[in-house]
Amino acid sequence: MAESYKVKAGSIEFTVVKGLLYTETDEWVRLENGKARVGITDYAQKKLTDIVGVELPEPGDEFSKGDPVATLESMKATADVYAPLSGRILEVNERLYEEPELVNKDPYGEGWLFVIEPSNPDEAKELLDDEAYVESVKKREEGH
Amino acid sequence: MGLRVLPLEELHERLGATFGEFAGWRVPMYYTSTIEEHLAVRSSAGIFDISHMGRLRLRGAGVLEVLEKLYTKRLSKTREGWMSGPTLALNEYARVKDDEMFYKVSDEEWLVVPNAAVADEMARYIEEWAGRLGVEVEVEDLRSDYALLALQGPEAERVVEELGGSEIASLKPLQFITNTSLAGAEIYVASRSGWTGEDGFEFWISPGEAVKLYEALLGRGVKPVGIASRDSLRIEMGFVLGGHEYGEDPRVFPCALSLRYGLGAIDWKKTGFVGEPALRACRREGVRWVRLGIVMKKKYARFIPRQGYKIVVEDQVVGWVTSGTYSPVRKRGVGQAYIDTRYAILGEPVEVVSDKGRRGEAKLEDFPLIKK
Repeated sequence: MAESYKVKAGSIEFTVVKGLLYTETDEWVRLENGKARVGITDYAQKKLTDIVGVELPEPGDEFSKGDPVATLESMKATADVYAPLSGRILEVNERLYEEPELVNKDPYGEGWLFVIEPSNPDEAKELLDDEAYVESVKKREEGH
Repeated sequence: MGLRVLPLEELHERLGATFGEFAGWRVPMYYTSTIEEHLAVRSSAGIFDISHMGRLRLRGAGVLEVLEKLYTKRLSKTREGWMSGPTLALNEYARVKDDEMFYKVSDEEWLVVPNAAVADEMARYIEEWAGRLGVEVEVEDLRSDYALLALQGPEAERVVEELGGSEIASLKPLQFITNTSLAGAEIYVASRSGWTGEDGFEFWISPGEAVKLYEALLGRGVKPVGIASRDSLRIEMGFVLGGHEYGEDPRVFPCALSLRYGLGAIDWKKTGFVGEPALRACRREGVRWVRLGIVMKKKYARFIPRQGYKIVVEDQVVGWVTSGTYSPVRKRGVGQAYIDTRYAILGEPVEVVSDKGRRGEAKLEDFPLIKK
């Protein structure tokens, strides 16, 4: 496991992992030999509270960066998960259909959502590093 | 504008609460998990800090006259030392301003708990009507004097007994006492009441004493419970919330009768209250919408109906969802909805359609949505 650290933004304390890439919409991306594993951040799962259901894409589905790919149902809200990169779905985390709470318990590990084969790997350069992501959350939590 | 802060905020921080915003207040949404906290209230006991809610003391010779003018229930029938309600304050369109519980201390002294979102407005409204009726009513906002705690769950009575509160434990539902104590903490008001569908007690208690009581309850294994569970608990029971099931705008909310509030909230023998003509007109003409429960079918158990989703039968939109959540007891998405009365047949299947066109099948049920 890569190095992780805790951050406080507003009243929410959450963990970020170094070496992952992030989006403004709270997805994380782990590049693994040219493939991209995607999940939601610890901050996002804390905002959603208990996750009780997931709807995931089918392997083979293709998406453009920013398209809604998956839906998370929590006690509090229904949230879309957006494609952080354009590409084709290779794999989805089917365990989550029975154990959606894994997204809460281990958002950067067993709670991953899907793996994308990027069609335009250069898009990864537009993603945020951990520090930029923390800034983005702080702006949202403390900005208003 | 900054959020208002609860008097016990430090305690909640210490307990590791995740905070959120509710009606302009910074409140603990949950401590560990909403589902765990929900189930603790259903199976043992939980403690809520609901100090974001209103707390008014009304005193003076004219209190009862004003209350009889503004609320749909005959509060004059209330006995001293008992709560009355919930009852409704209507506007002239027979739409609901607020639903509230009253405590009768004496003929000339009442306590009332308005909902958080309208607490300031209701205080002004009562004062304004006292002026209009030319009677004397002193309205005191007690929110900074007392915190409001709710101990809820089937173990609540046992916990109170264990902490030496036999006087409190012997209260009957909706009965209250003033100036009592529990676990060495002085309490202004202790009542047997709540908003979860479980047995329990509510306390008006000064912030310093509240911390003492709260910690004594934790010592007895009572679980801290956040505001998120309060919502899922009330939805399972079919309890209504302003901005969801009711509100003042007649273009958005049906008339008060459509709520099927029950519990004697409306007294038809009573006359002369604000909103009465429109309410009787609604009764005479028959209601167009009726509030019912929806429970997702097993195949759509993890589809959560949300406020604003449409209810569809065949190809007709026949209603809309006002509140929804995941029921940890039923292990399904459940909700409350307004249904066109022509389609309001209990047990019938309906479709729930999200704002983005996702669809799930549900069944119409009456409240409560869990066995009580």
